[in-house]
Amino acid sequence: MTDRPIAAARADGRRTLTEAEGKQLLADAGVETPSFAVCATVDEAVEAAEGMGYPVVVKVSSPSVTHKSEWASGAGVTVGIASEEGVRTASERIFEAATEQNVHADVLVEEAMDVEAGTEVIVGGLRDPSFGPVVLTGLGGVFTEVFEDTSHRIAPIGRAEARAAIEELQAAELLEGYRGSEPADVDALADVVAIVGDLVTEHPIAELDVNPVLASADGAVALDALVVLDPETAVDPASGTEAGVDR
Amino acid sequence: MFDPSAVAVVGASTTEGKIGYEAMANATEFDGPVYPVNPSSDGRLFGEAFVASVTDIDDDVDLALCCVPAPATPDVLQECGEAGVGAAVIYAGGFAEAGEEGERLQAAVVETADQYDISLLGPNTSGFVVPETDLLCSFASGAEKLPPGNTAVVAQSGGVAHALAFQSRRQGRGVSAMVGLGNRANVGFTETIEYFDGDERTDAIVLHVEGTDDGRALLEACRASDTPVVAYKVGQSDVGEFAESHTGALTGDHELYTAGFAQYGVPTVDATDALLDAAAALGNSPAPDGPNVGVVTAQAGPGIIITDRIQRAGGFLPELTPETRDRVDDILPGVTYTSNPVDTGRPMPAFGDVVTAVAEDDAVDIVLVYELYEQAMGFPVESLDGLAERVDKPVLFATDGIEEDMAEDESALADVGVPVFETPERAADAAAVLARYARMQGSAEGTEVVADD
Repeated sequence: MTDRPIAAARADGRRTLTEAEGKQLLADAGVETPSFAVCATVDEAVEAAEGMGYPVVVKVSSPSVTHKSEWASGAGVTVGIASEEGVRTASERIFEAATEQNVHADVLVEEAMDVEAGTEVIVGGLRDPSFGPVVLTGLGGVFTEVFEDTSHRIAPIGRAEARAAIEELQAAELLEGYRGSEPADVDALADVVAIVGDLVTEHPIAELDVNPVLASADGAVALDALVVLDPETAVDPASGTEAGVDR
Repeated sequence: MFDPSAVAVVGASTTEGKIGYEAMANATEFDGPVYPVNPSSDGRLFGEAFVASVTDIDDDVDLALCCVPAPATPDVLQECGEAGVGAAVIYAGGFAEAGEEGERLQAAVVETADQYDISLLGPNTSGFVVPETDLLCSFASGAEKLPPGNTAVVAQSGGVAHALAFQSRRQGRGVSAMVGLGNRANVGFTETIEYFDGDERTDAIVLHVEGTDDGRALLEACRASDTPVVAYKVGQSDVGEFAESHTGALTGDHELYTAGFAQYGVPTVDATDALLDAAAALGNSPAPDGPNVGVVTAQAGPGIIITDRIQRAGGFLPELTPETRDRVDDILPGVTYTSNPVDTGRPMPAFGDVVTAVAEDDAVDIVLVYELYEQAMGFPVESLDGLAERVDKPVLFATDGIEEDMAEDESALADVGVPVFETPERAADAAAVLARYARMQGSAEGTEVVADD
């Protein structure tokens, strides 16, 4: 089941999964994601939005588009859409821009999440040439980039070790609730860390970034997913840490 | 490799100062036969007759010390293989560390070693020493003066291996073995850790690591070792670029070593002396059950340094139980401070009883004692003798004074197996290593339980 998005990318000769494929991979492995649907027409997009309820986010979904928010003068991502009309307009812009650029594109309709309602965390996995699968945890944004506040583990790990990886972050206190906010569900976040470790261990994944994971009292939700596969030559998962990663 | 019956020194030389001479000079300290091999020499060297090739030796030589330059090494190793030699040290540089031609030479050497099943130490190393058996397979001077101890020094660099061994001698500790791995052609960290874990003279293994191609295998070997392992990973400044916030850029080599060692139960330190201190603490103590350190000091100031430092380095100073505090009050009414640390204010005859009371406290997992040397009083050797074993906890001792005056008492402490440290900081750091080790071992066990279900 979990192999499906990877197989789809392989079949196309791609090393990078689309956001939808990445989220499907995570969802299949047990990570919570916002509701989402990949739609081939405007009507499908509207139907999907009606089904999940507003507000929604509409994004371009195409292997040819890697930087969605910069694509086609901002047509690639529209957030906070609260009506059918909004979904139509946003979807039409995407399909028109795709036709203009002569690329194949679908529309990704996704349940909007209130990022203010939690803490953004980065969870990543990669296959290191010396250590094999490893998993990284960091608080998103400025904490990760400026303070280099990240922790690492050699994968695979259990939930207890994943929790320890989260708790050793200097910014871990933010997860415990501050200024009256509710403490985040750290166990749910630890599960995401452990699952990302399992995914890089069990699949031919060179790098997997879940940035951000929204950690709140209600759980831990993967809001974005970037998956880069090992080069095709290393497709055999049985080769494990011996996989030839071109870095 | 580390327990041969007969040794050949290939490329032995009569010219003083040459590696072939110095290696032979050191090797002849060994109790078994040592054969100088050199096709262009005859006569004797250190009383042993030269032979032209290892294949000419009518004995079961199982270790060859190769003192020939890199280009001559493949042929020498071929002869070793034909002669059935199972282990060889290659001192020469000019292999994989020195460009394409060197890589080719190293590959040739490894191929021959694989063919004949030869364990290779090096190339590009200053060798190894096992003081207990006078097996001095190093060309460095002074190797014969290294005292036996119970710490195995395993260093990626031969130079660091020697620096650690000499330091260990100066500390009065010694080594069970000192090994410089060099290029690790086919004997690397994993093989060496495995060997010394099974070596009955070794109670702690220290690693100096610059970097290795198979970090995971190194970690697995550490986890599999029943003998405690401590590591010093060099190269902290070599971290990934933090310019971009994605996983690849956020994952530097050093972070993975540090995180990996902690995850696999290996405390890390960041100095050579701290490495040996950690080994002295871990190798001469019962395994600590937890990170709680009970400190007894005869002087307040050093006690404060110790307390501060232990807590910053991952140890914890628990409250002593009311029973222990009552006991200490009974032993020394009006003692300066009966919580943790217990400060007796000065050395006194009952100091040993106070140490015993704290060591017997259930809240304490690790005991650290600090006392300036007082000639009239000496050290509480009687109280400390067998205390660690009886309470089944590490008991560390730190002191200062005039070396000559306290030499006798210090060696009495060493004789009863108490690890002694030279400064409050180093003792505190060693106690903190014990505390971290206890935590790691505890959580490592926890991880296995999770992984099993």
